[in-house]
Amino acid sequence: MPILMHIDFNSYFASVEQQANPFLRGKAIAVGGKGKGLGGSTRSVVATASREAKARGVKTAMSTWEAKKICPELIILPGDPQKYSDITNRLITICTKYADQLEQFSTDEVFLDVTQSAQDYFGATLLAQTIRAELKAACGSACTASIGVAPNKLVAKLASESVKPNGLTVVLPENVAAFVATRPLKEFCGIGRQTERALETMGATSVATLRAISREQLVARFKSHGAWLSNAAHGKDNTPLAVDAPAKSIGHSYTFPANLLTKHDVWKNLLALSDRVASRMQHGYVVGFRVNAFVRYGDFSQMGGDKLFKEPLRDGLGIAKSAWSILLPNIDYARGVRLIGVTVSALQKNSVPPSLFRKTEKMHSVLGALNTIQKRFGQHAWQRATTAGTMLLERTSGWHYDHELAA
Amino acid sequence: MHTYMNDPIEVTVDFFGHRIRPREVRWSNRRYPLQCVNLVHGALEGAKRIFYFSVSDKTNFMKLRFDTETLEWRLVEIYTD
Ligand SMILES: [Mg+2]
Repeated sequence: MPILMHIDFNSYFASVEQQANPFLRGKAIAVGGKGKGLGGSTRSVVATASREAKARGVKTAMSTWEAKKICPELIILPGDPQKYSDITNRLITICTKYADQLEQFSTDEVFLDVTQSAQDYFGATLLAQTIRAELKAACGSACTASIGVAPNKLVAKLASESVKPNGLTVVLPENVAAFVATRPLKEFCGIGRQTERALETMGATSVATLRAISREQLVARFKSHGAWLSNAAHGKDNTPLAVDAPAKSIGHSYTFPANLLTKHDVWKNLLALSDRVASRMQHGYVVGFRVNAFVRYGDFSQMGGDKLFKEPLRDGLGIAKSAWSILLPNIDYARGVRLIGVTVSALQKNSVPPSLFRKTEKMHSVLGALNTIQKRFGQHAWQRATTAGTMLLERTSGWHYDHELAA
Repeated sequence: MHTYMNDPIEVTVDFFGHRIRPREVRWSNRRYPLQCVNLVHGALEGAKRIFYFSVSDKTNFMKLRFDTETLEWRLVEIYTD
């Protein structure tokens, strides 16, 4: 019987900020992000609230305006994606050492299959404690995680969710049915708001009442999801770890604090964005063959397109040049560029380069080109906030997080 | 108060094997002896590696940026209660 572990950082972005800045510890803070408002517009929302802020009623995806209203002392910080992704990598590095298999479920959550490495639930408990100790050493004591151990993903996640912060909850196979009965339906990963409401109309507001509904009734109402619900009510789930589900595309877009008005600024920022895309591609060991690039102007009209390439794209400069070849002929600087987006798709696993020599040769040409750009555009890639219009800032609300918030 | 900036600074560091630990920051003619290094994280900017040190003294939090190519230090964030 498999043994699954779910590890979830508590109040992730906020905890990382509290780790970095001790003056924020014990305070109600929130890291801001972008969410979707009415008509597809973007608005500023709470991406993560610290546990102190949550205690005062601040919730994820709440507008920052609303959050400030219910918690006036709330400190809202812009996100710092580089910092979070560095911490996420530490989590993954540590877990990879101990797990048979790992699924990164979100920026701050992983599922581990520890059936072989742990042998039994006692071993899994020790393993969880080891991972926790290493996480503390690598990320600092403010970055706590809740861990759940159970025979399947559904129950492992319910278990980790049941004790926050810093919980370790082990649900033995014989206790699954009883444990599941204590959890609210909305905590089930797979029961969203819509399903919850639909279940309510059928009289199911808890696990006990859900169990009272027959499988046939559930299937009649929810199709195949109904069968899953019927099993879930008893803590049964056989969803495998999604270990080899590579991303279909990797992209970044960025909204600038001030519109870009020159070719030079657009190129420079395009290159910086492409570098971020490239670094994520390298992380996932993939190369891509298709590039989509677009700009949104100050008046919110959009221009861009797609191009397929014969040679794989792997580095930031290559991606930037390809994107540039799409944008350059049509771009209208006079209208002011408000947002740039670059996405690479048609991804393939990066095969071993034909020869090491060719690889180094490629690196050299990239470095050479980067140097030329630096010489042309000046030494300091990063500028003061007062000249922010020309460069991606270290932290700004302009970043569109990979995990978009549903609002 | 959180302020974002990008000011050149001087930093005195201790070396521990292949690690460095900032000890004192000099910024606009003032010295800030540091008490804590709370977090160190890295980032890539094109081909060059950047390190960020989240440090603090008794009253200030500072985020320092170290460019491994130019060996230049900058103060990019400061927070005081
Ligand atoms: Mg979490």
